[in-house]
Formats: sequence, structure tokens, C-alpha cells
Amino acid sequence: MNPIFHQNGDASYTKQPISALAMCSILIFLLGNGCAFVRGNYGEDLNQGDISTIKKGVSTRAEVAAILGAPDRIVEANGRDIFHYYHYDVKSGYVIIFSRTNIKSDDIFVIFNTAGVVEDVVAGRKKPPLEFQFWPFD
Amino acid sequence: MIRKIRTWFWIIAWLFVLSGCLRGPVAWQRVTLNRPLSEEDVSFVVNGKTSLSEVVEQLGAPNQMLSSSGGTVARYQFTDGKYFRVDFGWGLRFLSPFYSPDLVLGGGGAGADVFQITYNDHWIVQDHGFAFHSQLSKFRLWPFQD
Repeated sequence: MNPIFHQNGDASYTKQPISALAMCSILIFLLGNGCAFVRGNYGEDLNQGDISTIKKGVSTRAEVAAILGAPDRIVEANGRDIFHYYHYDVKSGYVIIFSRTNIKSDDIFVIFNTAGVVEDVVAGRKKPPLEFQFWPFD
Repeated sequence: MIRKIRTWFWIIAWLFVLSGCLRGPVAWQRVTLNRPLSEEDVSFVVNGKTSLSEVVEQLGAPNQMLSSSGGTVARYQFTDGKYFRVDFGWGLRFLSPFYSPDLVLGGGGAGADVFQITYNDHWIVQDHGFAFHSQLSKFRLWPFQD
């Protein structure tokens, strides 16, 4: 940068090249390959509307499979079959040297009695959406 | 004018190099799964009284349901993993582009907190408890320490 000489002989640098330099370095640091935001998921996101159509004491195993699809896992507990559906959401942020990956799981369990009819549906409130973060220390 | 362009060229070239220097050899990384539960969050659970639906209303669906001889076990899991690395050989690529070996020191750890509830045949809580392991996760520079 060339200094500008004032009439009194003092030299000072103009603000414009400095701010251009700052902008340029920020762009290089952030948009050069030191920055990445990645999103991913695993499994189908089941909506609450589908779940509410399953009736306790009425819906059968076949009906549940028709509504929600085949389960990701089948667990046997207390002599009952439990259909387990899960969905994972991943958000990952990488800025210069810091990286943070947040994973959220949403699980739904449908419990059947020995006759193959729905006894209970275990589905809590939907968890709040994940945030993109890159700071790993909090 | 040419002098100005040349100056800017070198400034930008050095910034590229510096951004690479800062980005390449050092990394702090962290991975978390789900929100941790505290003792306060589960204080409403009473053995022999609280039902599955009450627990699900407060805590949401568990991450796992397993069969055990004592009943059905529901598990809520939170995992925290931390990793740190420094590649001391990274800068060698500017001195010897054909051979720049990795000289990496680093380490980390991962731990899972688990809140576990056992239900009886009528889906009433029989027992519950925490297992805390997430303190095991930490950034570690020196991998040789026991």
C-alpha cells in the first residue's frame, strides 16, 4: 500500500485498501477451503400425522406396517413384539480449524400384544431442530 | 499501477499460504449425539408408580428398548466425542514438495451417558439409573500419557 502524504508532511494509509484487505482475508479464510457445512440424515422422518392414525387396541401389525412401513428393528420384550423406527439427523460445521458435528435421533416404538394388536405407541414430542455449530468447546 | 498490482498479488498469495497454514495442521473436532439428561430432568420418575407414557411425555421416546429377565429396559443415550490433532510435518511440503511426511500428535475420547429405566409387564417403572461416561471425552495433545 502506498502512503498518502499530506501537506504537513505526515504519512497515513487510506482506510479503503485496509478494509479491502480485511474483506479479502475474511473471504479467503472462510470461502477458501477452510469452511464446510454438511447436512445428512438416516432413515425416514415419520410425521406425527401418520403416527396418530395408529389406534391402540385396534390397529394390527399389518396396518402399522402399511402406515409407517417396515420397521428398522423388531425387538421382543416381555413376550411382546416391538417395532422400532428411527431417524437420525446430522449437521456438521467446519470453520478453519474448528469442527463440530451434532446428531439427533428420533425414535418411535410400536408395542404389540400377544394377539398382534397395538398395545402402545411410544413417540415423544418431536425434538427441536439441530443447529449448525462449529465451536467445539461449549 | 503495475507495482500496485504486483503488491496485491503477493499479499493475496501470502494470505492463501497463511490460510492453508492455519487450517491444515491443527484441528479441534467434536461430535455429540442427543441432549444430555440431568438428575433434575428425571426427578419425576418414581419406582413402582410412574408409567411408560408419563416418562415418554416428559423425556420423549427412548433410543433403545431391550428385553431382560427383569422386564423391558428403555435406554436414553447421549454421546460426546472430542478429538484434537496437530501435524508438525505439514509445513515441510513448502520446503520439500516431493516428500513431506505426516508428524501427527493428537488424541481424544468418546463417552456415552445413559439413563436406563426398567419396566414391568404393566409398563410401570421398576428401577432407573444413570451411567455417566461422557467425562471421558477430552481433547488430548500428548498421546503417550497413561
